[in-house]
Amino acid sequence: MVYKTRPEDTMSPYERLITILDWHKEKIDRLPAYNCITTYTIDGMEIFDAYWPEAHRDPEKMAKLGAALHELCGFECVEVPFELTLEAEALGIKLEFFEGKIKWPSVKEYWVKKVSDLDIPRKVEEMRNRGRVPVVCKAIKMLKERYYGEVPILANIDYPFQAIGGYIVDTSLWYKYMRSNPEEAHRFMETLGPLFDEVACAYLDAGADILAIREEASSLANIHPKTFKEFVMPVLKNSIRTMKTHGRVILHTCGECWSPTVENVSNLVACGADAFTVEEGTPMLELRRIANKIYGPWYPVGGNLSAFKVLHEGPIEKIRDRVKTVIEDGSDMPMMGCDIWLETPTKHVKAFVDAVIEYGTPPPWHKEGVDKWVPAGLREAK
Amino acid sequence: MSDRGEILKRMADNVVIGDEEAVKKAAEDWAGMTRAGKEKAYVGIVDGLAAGMKVVGDKYECKEYFLPEVLLSADAMYAGLGVLLPLIPKKDVGAAGTIVIGVVEGDIHDIGKNIVKAMLTAAGYDVHDMGRDVPTKDFVDEAKKSQAQVVALSTMMSPTLLSMKAVEESLEREGMKDRTKTIIGGGTVTEEFQKRIKADSYGKDAVDAVDKVKQLIDTVMKAVEMMKKREGL
Repeated sequence: MVYKTRPEDTMSPYERLITILDWHKEKIDRLPAYNCITTYTIDGMEIFDAYWPEAHRDPEKMAKLGAALHELCGFECVEVPFELTLEAEALGIKLEFFEGKIKWPSVKEYWVKKVSDLDIPRKVEEMRNRGRVPVVCKAIKMLKERYYGEVPILANIDYPFQAIGGYIVDTSLWYKYMRSNPEEAHRFMETLGPLFDEVACAYLDAGADILAIREEASSLANIHPKTFKEFVMPVLKNSIRTMKTHGRVILHTCGECWSPTVENVSNLVACGADAFTVEEGTPMLELRRIANKIYGPWYPVGGNLSAFKVLHEGPIEKIRDRVKTVIEDGSDMPMMGCDIWLETPTKHVKAFVDAVIEYGTPPPWHKEGVDKWVPAGLREAK
Repeated sequence: MSDRGEILKRMADNVVIGDEEAVKKAAEDWAGMTRAGKEKAYVGIVDGLAAGMKVVGDKYECKEYFLPEVLLSADAMYAGLGVLLPLIPKKDVGAAGTIVIGVVEGDIHDIGKNIVKAMLTAAGYDVHDMGRDVPTKDFVDEAKKSQAQVVALSTMMSPTLLSMKAVEESLEREGMKDRTKTIIGGGTVTEEFQKRIKADSYGKDAVDAVDKVKQLIDTVMKAVEMMKKREGL
């Protein structure tokens, strides 16, 4: 029997999300209550005995924690891994895991200045055996055994621009490279792009249904649209094309990426992912408008509830209100804009799931049809 | 244009375009005039380097400049400061106020902090940079030692927001809050969070942070003056 979140659902969470990503949202029974970034909290670590840092290194614990919010409150996806340093580690960066504490892994020191400082594999395929990539693949296989075809299995990957500036090269130095050493910046992006793609494809080949790319460092809050176009866009476009030959791809970005021009968000949408999701810094209505313009109303966009101000802090009424608003503004996948706070109470996540089901059944376009339905906010703007 | 005006303009313009070498050269020219007794070093800092940084701040605010551009300008400004600061008599340094700044424990992302530090330095403050991943105790110790009016905390990540709360609570416990105010900022920090942890101020970006720090320092200076008066009576 196929898993259903509620008896009245006509689709499993897997079918529903895949249908949206295949640009057939006219076929879905309701909106999905999922999140493409995080699916775990401290409650989840406690209940499933899958604490950090062990859950970063033990495939069984990783799989359990990745499914935590699904098991606890019907969250409609499972996802691994849980942090942003994995790709850097695979290239020779030493990590700090904070044994015995629940802290995000990090690097203690930045010492890499050029690509040749990294431990670059001679063949890209070697990436599949580097660092904890095999651990993640094993966790994905475990998730696949349990959830395949019922709950979508997501894997996430940090994108090179962000990984380099976050955990490989000193952040300030990396941003300065865009101006002071563009040759090296290009070399970094062009060398690391295919290596990261290989990791992504390994996850998809292991059984992940969807790959979520996090590219947060290149939002308009940080770099000029021109810089994005020069350094990020070509590599990102290429990566998405490669990954799409192995599975489906969602692009997520944090940070404000729409004002004062819409150029950056248009650039991101135009990178070709199957869907694009944002945080609260980018208004949902704006995103819907741009997506409609570039690809049309079938293009799935998601976001943009604040993980801290809404989901973590609550109260439940506020969570319900925000879910209702983002659906009205055209979010096909109401979700958090950033990592769910580790301390978020399970009852808040449950309230989120319930609200998406309540306000997303049926989807807002069910009467007028996908091509005719326009969010009220955009109708007035016309 | 006079030599004087030409050098100041050269300093400012090259800070704006982020040309470290050119700023250094211009600052050295100004240092020559200072040594000859014709000019004062701090005028070069204020009307040359800081004036340039002000333009950078404006460009950043109206989204003409982004992180790469601002960081290069900051480096250029620091290069100029390296030349001119040693020429300022010790007693005049940091007259505007003292600030302890750093990225809180658990976070190594110091890009925002570096930009705020550059802007504060340009605004004439004595800035004590604690670096990144700074233990709570170090902030408190440094604030005590330097008698800072403001402790400025930054983080880009969300899990490390709690480290900000820890610093706030430590300062409170040590009874330092009437003389030392706190301002927080960074990628994940919000005004709501600032209010919740009872930090004194929130800087939404580097330019805003400088304005808010000025307000905080004014508040502390006034409070200290009042206290002195009361003690005097």
